[in-house]
Amino acid sequence: MTTYILRRLVLMIPVAFLVTIGVFALARLSPADPVIVFAGEDRDPVVLAAIRRDLGLDQPVPVQYVAWLSRAMQGDLGRSFQTKQKVSEAIIERLPATFELGLAALGISITFALVIGILSAIKRNSFVDLLSSSITLMGVSFPTFFLGVLLILLFAYVIPGRIFPPGGYVPLTTDVSENLRRLVLPAVTLATASLALNLRQVRSSLLDVFGHDYMRTARAKGLRERTVIVRHALKNALIPVVTLVGIQIGAIIEGAVITETIFFWPGVGRLAVQAIPSNDYPVVQGVVLVSAFSFMLSTLLVDVLYAWIDPRISYDTAAA
Amino acid sequence: MTGTAVPIVMRRAGDDRLSSALYFLRRNPRMIIGGTIVLAWLFVAAFAPFIAPYDPIKVVPTDSLIPPGPTHWLGTDDLGRDVLSRVMWGARVSLSVGVISVSIGLLVGTSLGLAAGYLGGKFDLFVMRGIDALLAFPALILAIAITSALGPQIQNAMIAIGIVAIPAYARLTRGQVLAVRAREFIVAARTIGASPLRIVMRHIFPNVMNALIVQATLSTAFAILAEAALSFLGLGPQPPYPSWGQDINYSQRYLSNLKWWMSVGPGVAIFTAVFAFNFLGDALRDALDPRLRRSGS
Repeated sequence: MTTYILRRLVLMIPVAFLVTIGVFALARLSPADPVIVFAGEDRDPVVLAAIRRDLGLDQPVPVQYVAWLSRAMQGDLGRSFQTKQKVSEAIIERLPATFELGLAALGISITFALVIGILSAIKRNSFVDLLSSSITLMGVSFPTFFLGVLLILLFAYVIPGRIFPPGGYVPLTTDVSENLRRLVLPAVTLATASLALNLRQVRSSLLDVFGHDYMRTARAKGLRERTVIVRHALKNALIPVVTLVGIQIGAIIEGAVITETIFFWPGVGRLAVQAIPSNDYPVVQGVVLVSAFSFMLSTLLVDVLYAWIDPRISYDTAAA
Repeated sequence: MTGTAVPIVMRRAGDDRLSSALYFLRRNPRMIIGGTIVLAWLFVAAFAPFIAPYDPIKVVPTDSLIPPGPTHWLGTDDLGRDVLSRVMWGARVSLSVGVISVSIGLLVGTSLGLAAGYLGGKFDLFVMRGIDALLAFPALILAIAITSALGPQIQNAMIAIGIVAIPAYARLTRGQVLAVRAREFIVAARTIGASPLRIVMRHIFPNVMNALIVQATLSTAFAILAEAALSFLGLGPQPPYPSWGQDINYSQRYLSNLKWWMSVGPGVAIFTAVFAFNFLGDALRDALDPRLRRSGS
């Protein structure tokens, strides 16, 4: 197991290196001069030259990259041009809101995916199965932002009494009930897209498992149907679902970008979106780097977890 | 014994092809539904200047916020612009971004996949690590990062979504090449002295075509959705030019006044277009994959 993890970590190094080059290059692609953006109204050449020197932009590009990388590895992602706040601080401040939203959405998605997925696999071609196929089909094609807009329209304005507010955030530590009330619409919006994927995976994995010999054996032994499904089918069918959910945890920031923008949710995704119009590239760069690395790490963890929970996978073959 | 003359019916090859195509379509209703909606949107996009009832960017203050009715089927926005006309013109943006970005991904990804799979060795290693690095970025984040770096323009959105699409084509093509590279007909072609380019283009590429057609259809759906998301975030075509995602974003300021029609028109447009390409892609996958055809699933 240790050898396998080490091997995966070693394989990750060149990819991580290329990712950092990509993130660094992206910021340099921008036609806007960062010095002018940073200086704001001040166009004094002496001031501009000083800022250029301070930011290290008077150095050759490879030197700039090495300096940026060594700072990034120590957690220093630079300062926002707009607010002058440290980018790492800004991201850490907003991570709890993003995680709260992402995990709530994932919770909703997994719960519904399991319930509907199991029922639709057990009762094929029934109403539940039809519902499952419709959710799958609609979920992958329905734009998140349109769903968000429809939910706001319905629950905040059409239905009297404003059951759920149209947006905003109250920290969990300040007011639990208000926090949860404001969480419902964004979490449901974000959950829809992943629900379609998770539901499809639960249903197809279960149908695949149902065809195996050990299921027939379990039934032939006289086990109750419930035990057959929970102890024998679900245990094996959930392995690919775990993989999918693990990857979705790594992609929480990506999923939250649109939803946070619609619902004025002060998370990491909205931080990046707000930084774009003002060419605040250290912030965009920081968010892209953090989301890419969290995505990579989650993929690695999922691979390791997959090898650990599925005894049929030997580490040697998994690593190959 | 008088023999009865059996009439010999001469059937043309064209008739056979037509009847087998009709038989195939009858067995694949999803392809008919998806294909019809796709064709309808392509028609709207191509002929929007002729079929749109109004100028999509002309401000008519007297027609402000008219609900759907006989004069404006999908209503008007706060500037008196006809929502239906904007949806029709928006189709040009969405579908052109879909087609061009998928073409970028297809061309670059397939070329890299063919070369990496056929040449192998260090080239393969180098290319695939690059592809892994691209895959390490969540797709939408990468598209946002590229578009925000290059500037919010429709061309940049096309480039960004095209780059995001590259890994899928590269991996798919490479996998298929590796699967057929050692087959007898490739060995035979090599033995008779065919050049690597000829082997790749004449013998390997046709074997990858089916999978690429399916992938291209499905990634057009993703591209339309991604373009709408970028436009929603202000990274697509800039106002006053119509774009589905941007129009939904704009409509948000009138939600509290219950002017629902401003968002419903472009929202339904995105949904039907994405749904149609997904539906068509799924049907094509089932039809073109011989294993799925045999299992009847």
